[in-house]
Amino acid sequence: MVKDWVASVNRIFRTISGSKRVDKVPFLAFAGEQIICRITGKTVKELYNSPKVYANAIINTFEYLNADSINVPSAYAGPSEALAFAEANNKLDAIKWFDYQPLMCKQGAICKSEEDIEKLEIPDHSKNNLWNTSLQAAKIINDKTKFPQVISLSIWSVVQELRGIEAYKDMRRNPDLLLKLCEKIFESQMDIYENWLEIVGMPPNVFIAGYSFNRHMMSFQDSMRYEGQFIKRMMNKIKVPFMLHNCGTSPYFTEVVKEINFIAVNGSHPLDIEFWIDFKKKNPKIAIIGANIDVSREMLTGTPSDVEKKVKENILHLAPGGRYICCPVCSLPWGVPITNILAIPKAIEKYGYYPININ
Amino acid sequence: MKEEELLENLKNAIFKGDPDKAIDLVNKSIKMGINVKEILNRAILKGAEEAGNLYEEGEYFLPDLLMTGDAITVTTERLKNSLNKKSELESKGTILIGTVEGDIHDIGKSLVVSLLQGQGFDVVDLGSDVPPEEFLRKAKEISPILIGLSGLMTMSISKMVETVNLLKNENIASRIIIGGGILSKESCEMIGADDFAKDGWEGVKKINNLIRI
Repeated sequence: MVKDWVASVNRIFRTISGSKRVDKVPFLAFAGEQIICRITGKTVKELYNSPKVYANAIINTFEYLNADSINVPSAYAGPSEALAFAEANNKLDAIKWFDYQPLMCKQGAICKSEEDIEKLEIPDHSKNNLWNTSLQAAKIINDKTKFPQVISLSIWSVVQELRGIEAYKDMRRNPDLLLKLCEKIFESQMDIYENWLEIVGMPPNVFIAGYSFNRHMMSFQDSMRYEGQFIKRMMNKIKVPFMLHNCGTSPYFTEVVKEINFIAVNGSHPLDIEFWIDFKKKNPKIAIIGANIDVSREMLTGTPSDVEKKVKENILHLAPGGRYICCPVCSLPWGVPITNILAIPKAIEKYGYYPININ
Repeated sequence: MKEEELLENLKNAIFKGDPDKAIDLVNKSIKMGINVKEILNRAILKGAEEAGNLYEEGEYFLPDLLMTGDAITVTTERLKNSLNKKSELESKGTILIGTVEGDIHDIGKSLVVSLLQGQGFDVVDLGSDVPPEEFLRKAKEISPILIGLSGLMTMSISKMVETVNLLKNENIASRIIIGGGILSKESCEMIGADDFAKDGWEGVKKINNLIRI
């Protein structure tokens, strides 16, 4: 059966905006390079070599998973941004490539010293091969599926890549230097946005990988200082709704939505459904993406029936009233059984049609 | 300055994460002839404990723990160098630690390493992106009491399974703990580790518990 992407576009974006004209709960999948390689049999370098090959592999993967979402995993302000910085600063030895998973940056290798931060060159993304391929692949996906591609931006994720553990020490011993680094990353993120506008077009949303908003890592005041204030500046420049992702164990969702106007949140924690029920009650205009379908529990070690139970629980508690997107909480790991991923859209077919009536 | 006051100040310098002040106070303590074990137990470990308590109470965060970790590292190093015989400062055992192959994140692991060193363990840090065979080779060489596998990414789970299987198949008797925010009780059981920790401080506490068993 040919995938009806228009129906998926309506399902996802209407759910995020709170429209009542939604047929069923959408299924969003964070399928990174690992899953795309696994399903298509291609290596990461084969994918990155051609926008057309890459775009087709992505489309085939998301269609195979029967997902309502589709995105280019490398067009993300994590490792790919570290690569752009490494290239612009002649530090490509900081980058490690793998066959079947995304590249990684040795944390802290690009900004080892204070001088490295002072002299850090901001990348020109139009000259970076991976960013060019990724943005062109996003454009092809836009054209082929009519699914408008969401841009992903971040500050702290990139700080961690460039400065590593020293960034946390800088908070106490040299906060001005750390802010200088954040400022340079902000400029670089805006360069990604400019390139996105030129190649892909205006994004419908911005997906912020807001890794600083996590109690285990820093105080809320620090997360606002080193990331929140920059997100507010992004919002002033990019006039579309923003979504927040955090995959830490103790996210500041409750606190951050009082400070920054997000249209949706997605996090790998808390895994307690009660938190999300309460969050929905207190923030009825913010869509929840994910809740508590855990990639390291039922998705990885459970059976399709375990996954179905979890999807049912999430739909029962969070879908009535809308603004709920069903999704495993984080990126799908290599070893997760494909049958467990496919159990999600199957369970949505069973329980996810509006009006929700589980019984 | 009296001994009591000196050690109290040193403890404060440790938990406030001031390595320069801490090293100065350690030097003064040594000069005053205070026993190395006393300096370690009454000041350095107490300071680390206080920092941990503040972290649990939500007063301290990762940056504060890391600064404390730095103060511990420089002071324990100074204490070791001041000893004539190593036996004066007995090790609590050797721990082997590393980030699994395919993952090069090391922030949580670095925190664990410095806090464990401050508690008197010898820690052999294999770094990041460590293949299973390297964990095995080093485990055979040093016979650690515990092996810690770290990993931030969801994709690290499959590499943890491979590493633990290899260690067990080769009859490595060390306890095994895995660390990473993505882990759960279920994934820990699947991987076959003795325990798991979601952050660095929890890791340090669980390692101490595992070693006591």
